[in-house]
Amino acid sequence: MKTDFQTGSTESSSVAQSFEQIFLEHWDAIYRLLVRMTGDPAEAEDLALETFFRLHRHPPQEGEGYNPGGWLYRVATNLGLRSIRSFKRREQYEMRAGKEALEVAQEDRPAVLFEKKEQNRLAHRALAKMNPRRAELLVLRYSGMSYKDIAEALGLSPTSIGPLLLRAEREFEKVYRALDQEEEA
Amino acid sequence: MKKHLNDGDLRAALDGELDKAGLQHLESCPACQERQNLIRTQVQQAARRLSFLSAPARPTRPAAQTALTHFHQRINNRKEISMFRKLFASPLVRAGLVIVLILVVVLSIPSTRALAGKFLNLFRVQQVVVVPVDFTGMQQLTGNQTLGKQVSDLISSSITTQQKPGSPVTVADAASASQQAGFNVRVPQGLTPSRISVEGAAAFTIKVDAAKAQALLNESGRSDLVLPSSINGADVSVTIPASVTVSFGTCPDPSAQDTANILNGNGSAGRQYPDCVILAELPTPTVSAPPELNIAQLAQIGLEFTGMTSDQAAAFTQTVDWTSTLVIPLPKNAATYQQVTVDGVTGTLIQRPADDAPQYALLWIKNGIIYAISSLGTNSQQALQLANSLP
Repeated sequence: MKTDFQTGSTESSSVAQSFEQIFLEHWDAIYRLLVRMTGDPAEAEDLALETFFRLHRHPPQEGEGYNPGGWLYRVATNLGLRSIRSFKRREQYEMRAGKEALEVAQEDRPAVLFEKKEQNRLAHRALAKMNPRRAELLVLRYSGMSYKDIAEALGLSPTSIGPLLLRAEREFEKVYRALDQEEEA
Repeated sequence: MKKHLNDGDLRAALDGELDKAGLQHLESCPACQERQNLIRTQVQQAARRLSFLSAPARPTRPAAQTALTHFHQRINNRKEISMFRKLFASPLVRAGLVIVLILVVVLSIPSTRALAGKFLNLFRVQQVVVVPVDFTGMQQLTGNQTLGKQVSDLISSSITTQQKPGSPVTVADAASASQQAGFNVRVPQGLTPSRISVEGAAAFTIKVDAAKAQALLNESGRSDLVLPSSINGADVSVTIPASVTVSFGTCPDPSAQDTANILNGNGSAGRQYPDCVILAELPTPTVSAPPELNIAQLAQIGLEFTGMTSDQAAAFTQTVDWTSTLVIPLPKNAATYQQVTVDGVTGTLIQRPADDAPQYALLWIKNGIIYAISSLGTNSQQALQLANSLP
């Protein structure tokens, strides 16, 4: 069954309500994910609204494995990654992501804070540069999703997540180190 | 389980995601444990670098209920803007004019003069008036692709182009722009433009087939609106002089496609061109029409079509001097407007809400030139300062 949040039938009021329930249930998590990814609250809100707009406009098929939360995470992750890949905006995100990290960090020693900021900046660059599917997997996992939820969101078998995740982490590390060396040179 | 675990299983075990049989093997297999320790080091490294993805967010986020309100506003805005675009999607609008067949017409001072042996009304824009319109009332037209195409076909078959403006040409300075455009181009003092471009003049004639237009109105469910017979075959000639665009900051390419992309955009466009401000200067276009064409009557029909009640449309029509006014229909919920004093005259400041692709445009007319300052941002004070620094 295809969910249609936009129909004008009498059935639509209950469906529309379910969209609102989904929105209220997942808004915080989606928004927080995008703030962490972009470091920019305004951009995060914009992208989070866009994520729900897509759900409203083209909702996923209902049926076995129907998981609007996973679907939202996946769309939000892709919007966030696309956004940090944007050449024009990447630099300002990196700056803001570093600033965001400083503001949430418990640490208050300047040298440690500076190092953390640099790490975040490089991590953003690495995510933007690496294979998009692997970057997506890393974002989903490190933002706290279980293997089961990741598997549902990406349409994969839960047993494949471990190997794919390890591959993604290795590529991330490789790209991160290369960027680090490139900047030092 | 005797077979050793693969790296993927060992990785899953670190997250507590390995099945029971695998875990049992791991507990009793020193070789697998050793390999897992190596993997653990790699994973811990990545986890440290990606820890920002699970850090607590600052409590500045909009609450879910507030965000839901923003969401509904955005949906309504997009609906209205989409309808607005479909209705007014024509090169004329991009030139800064709103001329809509049968609906609302660009008008100005009627000065009767002989032209090719015929008496025509000659119009010239002298002031700007905004009319808020609820475009959601036009679902029938805009939601119907066939009907939309018929409207587009009617418009394109009704227009004969005499002169095309061509692509904008970048010039070196205000003096060159003045020379090419044929009027005195004003550039704010003390500011260096990032680009000055000139777009050529355009001219076209509109000839309406009243029967076809009425049929479309009927099909869109508005058979209550009856077009006057005077529009049938009436020749309306429009001449748009060359215009000049002066850009400040990093601005999108002046090509139509790029501009359309920006207009379609969400909030990102504003962040992509945060410092872009564009000043457009256009000598008032002239519109000539047969004297028997009752413009006020057509305007009223147009306003009713866009969703106003008959009484509202009649009341508005009476307040406007249709002989000298550029009427800009604005989506009711997607933009606000106010009158402001600018450049020594009264201008109109139009703003789109800040939470969804903020934009503003400041319009005024002085000494026969239409000026418009627009930006993808919220700092409309900047436009007023810029306007008031014109020489």
